[in-house]
Amino acid sequence: MILSDLLGSDALEADGRRVGAVVDVRLEISGAPAQLLAATEVTGVLVSPRSRFSTWGYERRGETAPVLIARLQRWLHRGMFLVGWDDVELVDEGRVVFRGGYERRDPMLPPSPRT
Amino acid sequence: MNDETVQRMPQPDPRAPRGRVLDAHLHLLDRQVLDRDGTPVTTVDDVELDGIELGARIEPGSPAPTVAAILTGPQLPMRIFGGHAPARRRVAIPWKLVASVGTTVRLGVGADSLDASWVERWVSGHIIGRIPGGRHDPE
Amino acid sequence: MKKLFAVALGILTAIGGFVDIGDLVTNAVVGSRFGLGLAWVVLVGVVGICVYAQMSGRVAAVSGRATFEIIRERLGPRAGLANLAASFLINLLTVTAEIGGVALALQLATSVDPLLWVPVAAFGVWIVIWRARFELLENVTGLLGLTLIVFAVALFMLSPDWGRLAGQALQPGPPADEPVATYWFYAVALFGAAMTPYEVFFFSSGAIEEKWTEKDLAKSRLNVLVGFPLGGILSIAIAGCAAVVLLPASIDVTSLSQVVLPVAEAGGKVALSFAIVGILAATFGAALETTLSSGYTLAQYFGWSWGKFRKPAKAARFHLAMIIVVLIAVAILATGVDPILVTEYSVVFSAVALPLTYLPILIIANDREYMGDKVNGRGMNLVGTIYLVIILVAATAAIPLLIVTGAGA
Repeated sequence: MILSDLLGSDALEADGRRVGAVVDVRLEISGAPAQLLAATEVTGVLVSPRSRFSTWGYERRGETAPVLIARLQRWLHRGMFLVGWDDVELVDEGRVVFRGGYERRDPMLPPSPRT
Repeated sequence: MNDETVQRMPQPDPRAPRGRVLDAHLHLLDRQVLDRDGTPVTTVDDVELDGIELGARIEPGSPAPTVAAILTGPQLPMRIFGGHAPARRRVAIPWKLVASVGTTVRLGVGADSLDASWVERWVSGHIIGRIPGGRHDPE
Repeated sequence: MKKLFAVALGILTAIGGFVDIGDLVTNAVVGSRFGLGLAWVVLVGVVGICVYAQMSGRVAAVSGRATFEIIRERLGPRAGLANLAASFLINLLTVTAEIGGVALALQLATSVDPLLWVPVAAFGVWIVIWRARFELLENVTGLLGLTLIVFAVALFMLSPDWGRLAGQALQPGPPADEPVATYWFYAVALFGAAMTPYEVFFFSSGAIEEKWTEKDLAKSRLNVLVGFPLGGILSIAIAGCAAVVLLPASIDVTSLSQVVLPVAEAGGKVALSFAIVGILAATFGAALETTLSSGYTLAQYFGWSWGKFRKPAKAARFHLAMIIVVLIAVAILATGVDPILVTEYSVVFSAVALPLTYLPILIIANDREYMGDKVNGRGMNLVGTIYLVIILVAATAAIPLLIVTGAGA
């Protein structure tokens, strides 16, 4: 499946209620050791209740500057949450359905090393 | 934002990341791909994920989908205007060729060994290389 | 001498930004109609370009990413494409004007028809981009372009009424015989000319051509602080000369010979030859800067290999793009259109493209994944945000003013 098809899909709960749109996919480079880099796995999807578009990451990282822009972005994307892949029941064209009792997690990214 | 934290017995958190964590759109899409020597190859126009079956119910405990390849070529106009290129026409750089991901995606191989760089090689060989001085270092 | 060469990148960038053919004429026009009444705009523009060139130079040195790559990475392919289209069009029009300007300068020197000089100028621009090392390119044109200081010298030699000049400069506002909208149109045009996006594209790509790293941050700052204020001073000197000689005599600026009239009057043939050398070097340098800029922006948007430090065969699409740009420029000039008129329009369009160019720079300059601990300080962010607002205002006002005033007629 192509990433840009998954992005922008409706995020639905088990009973069909729409809770937002999938704006990003969380990955982890921690799978089976491969040739150069360990396999990169999908560990979750990020859902924004308010917009379909991706963000500049202000609500997922600790960056706070420039102040006006950071505040505006955080406000535009307030309420974003992460859903683990184990809570995803079904992926179809234009929609992603979560299991009953799925957990909404903190979307913050762990600080990454600068390479 | 952890409004549903469940009280756990003290044990290693099974959900702590075991490696580098990144977000596909934020950290991968539209980034520069460099080859082993630092020469630009292309941009990450899209990403192919393996292991997601459309419409199929995902059993709990089944293995997570993985990143299969970086897509480039006809992918860019698709992202701008919408639509799909048929699978045959996609130009893919297999993810296993990637050596590191930072503010750029660094490959472990040289650009010349990739399908993705055929346009550059063609222009170089057929046009630029034929103009006198094209193959020399600037002085 | 070596110290002078260290700031050559800043000087060359500023030459292309402040005293290229479009600016030379616009500054003279402004001086002949408004005196020094618009000098404050040049000041505002100089500070603005210093702030943003500083940021983009620092981003390039620390993270290795040039400005247009940042634009694509933060704005995404759609908005990035819009910016590319606008920037490329402006670059193309400016390259056309500069090559035309080189031909006009050669006409001033030799009285040979400029149309005959166009192919020579175009070939000259291309062969330098094709074969000359980046350092050689910037050192020679930067240094020769400095001869434009003759305009400042001429201003002194003309013994102007300094009080009156200062009065014009310190009393911003349209003079009685010019409509308000025209005054603001030229204000936006001068501001757009001072902060033209290709200046930051060129400066940040040049930083990578010179292989600047974190250790070169002081050098980057020096380049900015020497180059752009110098460009601003030259700008004001040209306007000042026009204010002193052309304004009182109500001489309209319609060609390059009127631009150099004050210098000839002040210092005779010697000063005039300095001015011609300076104009030749400045337009040639600006032609190089804008042609390279079109290559840089295209290559950086699409992710192609680029850079004069690579053999052309190793940056093939980059060089092919620039060859095509030069050929199109020659084709446009062959139709006989006035290259100077062309730039007057392109300057206004560049004011429109400013916000999409500068916002990503401000964002990335604060991003620790790119910059480590070399992120913007609070002061820089404050000034950067203030200028972003000014840029947005200028960008929204540009096209309406263009229409209302009929391009400052």
